[in-house]
Amino acid sequence: MWRTVVGSGCSRTVLVVAAALPLLAPAVVSQGRAPKYEVQALWPRPFQEQSWVLGSITGVTIDGQNHIWVVHRGADSLENNEKGMMLTPPSSSICCKAAPFVLEFDQGGALLTSWGGPGSGYQWPQSPGGLAVDAKGSVWITAAGLEAAPARGRGPNDPTAAEQPAAAAGRRGAAPTGPPAPGDAHVIKFSRDGKFLLQIGTPGKMDGPDSQTTLNRPSAIAVDAAANEVFVADTGNRRIIVFDADTGKYKRHWFAYGEKAAGPAPGAYAASDPPAKSFRDVTCIEIARDGNVYVCDRSSNRVQVFQKNGTFVKEAVVSKNTLGATVTGQFGVVSSYGSAWDLAFSSDPQQRFLLIADGHNKKVHIFQRDTLTEVGTIGSGGRYPGQFLAVGSIATDAQGNVYTGEQHHGKRVQKFIAK
Amino acid sequence: MKRNLLIGATFIAVLTGLGIAQYLLEESALAQTKGAVMAPRFEVDPTFPKPLPNGWYQGQSIGLWVDAQDHVWIVHRPDVLDAAEGASSQNPPTGECCNVAPPILEFDQAGNLLRHWGGSDGPGYQWPSSNHGLNIDNKGNVWIGGNGTGTDGHILKFTQDGKFVMQVGIKKQGLGPDSLAQDRFYLVAKTFFYAPANEVFVADGYGNRRVAVIDADSGKMKRFWGAYGKPPDDKAGAAQGPYDPTATYQQFRGPVHCADVSVDGLVYVCDRTSDRLQIFKTDGTFVKEVYIARDSRGDGAVWDVAFSRDKEQKYLYVADGRNQKLRIFDRQSLEELTNFGKGGHYPGEWYSLHNIATDSKGNLYTVETYQGRRLQRFLYKGLAPVKAKQQGVVWPGTR
Repeated sequence: MWRTVVGSGCSRTVLVVAAALPLLAPAVVSQGRAPKYEVQALWPRPFQEQSWVLGSITGVTIDGQNHIWVVHRGADSLENNEKGMMLTPPSSSICCKAAPFVLEFDQGGALLTSWGGPGSGYQWPQSPGGLAVDAKGSVWITAAGLEAAPARGRGPNDPTAAEQPAAAAGRRGAAPTGPPAPGDAHVIKFSRDGKFLLQIGTPGKMDGPDSQTTLNRPSAIAVDAAANEVFVADTGNRRIIVFDADTGKYKRHWFAYGEKAAGPAPGAYAASDPPAKSFRDVTCIEIARDGNVYVCDRSSNRVQVFQKNGTFVKEAVVSKNTLGATVTGQFGVVSSYGSAWDLAFSSDPQQRFLLIADGHNKKVHIFQRDTLTEVGTIGSGGRYPGQFLAVGSIATDAQGNVYTGEQHHGKRVQKFIAK
Repeated sequence: MKRNLLIGATFIAVLTGLGIAQYLLEESALAQTKGAVMAPRFEVDPTFPKPLPNGWYQGQSIGLWVDAQDHVWIVHRPDVLDAAEGASSQNPPTGECCNVAPPILEFDQAGNLLRHWGGSDGPGYQWPSSNHGLNIDNKGNVWIGGNGTGTDGHILKFTQDGKFVMQVGIKKQGLGPDSLAQDRFYLVAKTFFYAPANEVFVADGYGNRRVAVIDADSGKMKRFWGAYGKPPDDKAGAAQGPYDPTATYQQFRGPVHCADVSVDGLVYVCDRTSDRLQIFKTDGTFVKEVYIARDSRGDGAVWDVAFSRDKEQKYLYVADGRNQKLRIFDRQSLEELTNFGKGGHYPGEWYSLHNIATDSKGNLYTVETYQGRRLQRFLYKGLAPVKAKQQGVVWPGTR
């Protein structure tokens, strides 16, 4: 029943490099007519600032200029041994500290801009989630909240999972300074150089799944340029909610299968149970060119497809037997559940393929979009180029290249070249 | 004239044929005449090794050596995989990846996995509770230590096929430090086989505060010493307190993390959390010491050493797993010439650079512990003028 991911066919080509040529390595197990990809092992370029390191990557997206935007959790997700310069007293004067939260790279992997963190008029997330760059170049970031079990378990098998997030007290071993910050319940819009523009939702204010003005740990976002609407995967409320992208005014919302009423929170996932009527944890939202809206229900191992008005179209099951684990590490609790963490479309005009980032099984699934059948995978579990830990973000550029972001201890953004 | 032209043409053809390496030598020779500081230059090789077969997942990688065939051997800790990493190893499985690999792994120069073994007790020996350190002697035998607190007081010797040869010391519950013990160790970090005397130098270790020397065939203790070549004193060592960068510690703070012997018979001992290397004669006579990034706290800056592969071992390589730098020293002057690397998870970066070793061509290999968990190769590109004291990530073709 359990497929073993074998490294055969994953050998990396050895090239004699006399110049700064990209090193390409086949990293795709292809079946049928699935697209093929090779990891570009030397991407992005190392930070000029040698002391910077990346934390857990929560969002990767591509803007209209084909630049790659990344958001990560920063110091909060670094172990003490990774952030020696940030300790008191410092354990090192040269290594390391967290890079800024938001980073923009060009196609060659050079860092163009970086910003992020607390500012006036908005509250920087306790933990960022996904990000999106809209057609006007504005950058949207969700405040996805901390995985501070047990009061709020994102893992469906956590019996203490609750509607309301835990207070930020005791987060990740950081020394508490003052009262706990209110829990993440908002999305923030910035200009591409990091100037605050708009916030939807209020940290700490969660009025439940029927609220038109509040959110609860939203973890993904997409912008529909045609209608100037922003679609939010409102994870804690088990729904999709749509706002006007300029004013933040409420437009509509819906639940799993396009239901108008919030159903009860599903229990722990079991492959033998009928599909849950509600979302367990909706962690991605992407809008295809044909107007269909794709949503990841991560720990239900499924992708649901809607029209933009919320009408349910169909769903796909991804690695149905996947369960998960909650792990407490040096930087707090991380949950790893389910097979559908994020998705992206192939870059051909028809967007014939869906690329689904599967953090628990440590690979990317390639699905044919019309039939929703799996036709291939990218990668395997591990820490070498082309391998993955908790791959939770994925995006494609105009040339069809694929970018992945890894959470937990992965902490890399990788580039795969379309062949 | 004609003949000179021919010679010149041949020279150019040879140069072209030899390619970059030759160019670098030329460049180096030029620089030398100008009096520039020369140091070995390296480039990361992101194609090495190949992904492990069988869905195997590499754990904390805490020992490394290169054998006479230039095969790269590592020891790692398969048991550190958490429930998310080792999802397919759980009972019942929660996912499709990953599986637990054997702790001893051998790679060829192409990065293919060859032999793999170890992990459990056998007749006459006990596998360590926590794997640590790997060395290969001149007969090809594989030596490992172990730093499982409260149990590991031994080192083990196997053939390259994993056949048990010898256990020195004991493993048992309730073990503690005893830096004066003749018949066992405590939490050995690394061993080093020294062919001229058929001796094994034991970095002993995480629990004891000494270098111990045994006969490689009989395992019999020959001698041991502490910091500055004096007798080790566990009580005095434990009383040294938290690290103070201005203090001079009379006992190894430890872990005593390496004890490698150079061609001229000097023993280089890593006193990791003292941020220092102490250097001795093989009989334990103290020679000199050097501090490295002395403001480093926590895990300390001096994790492992290796020697350059020229006949004189002109250069000393030091793995600094606190600051994520591979430091290159002139071995005679103990002056740091340059360093490279940075913190991170990409090729050429490290998270807790733990061990280093060289192959016959002078290439460097590194392994990382904690959440680093990789084996990496850095190709030797000849001597080159030092352009930066802190080179950062050494990508191919960037200089």
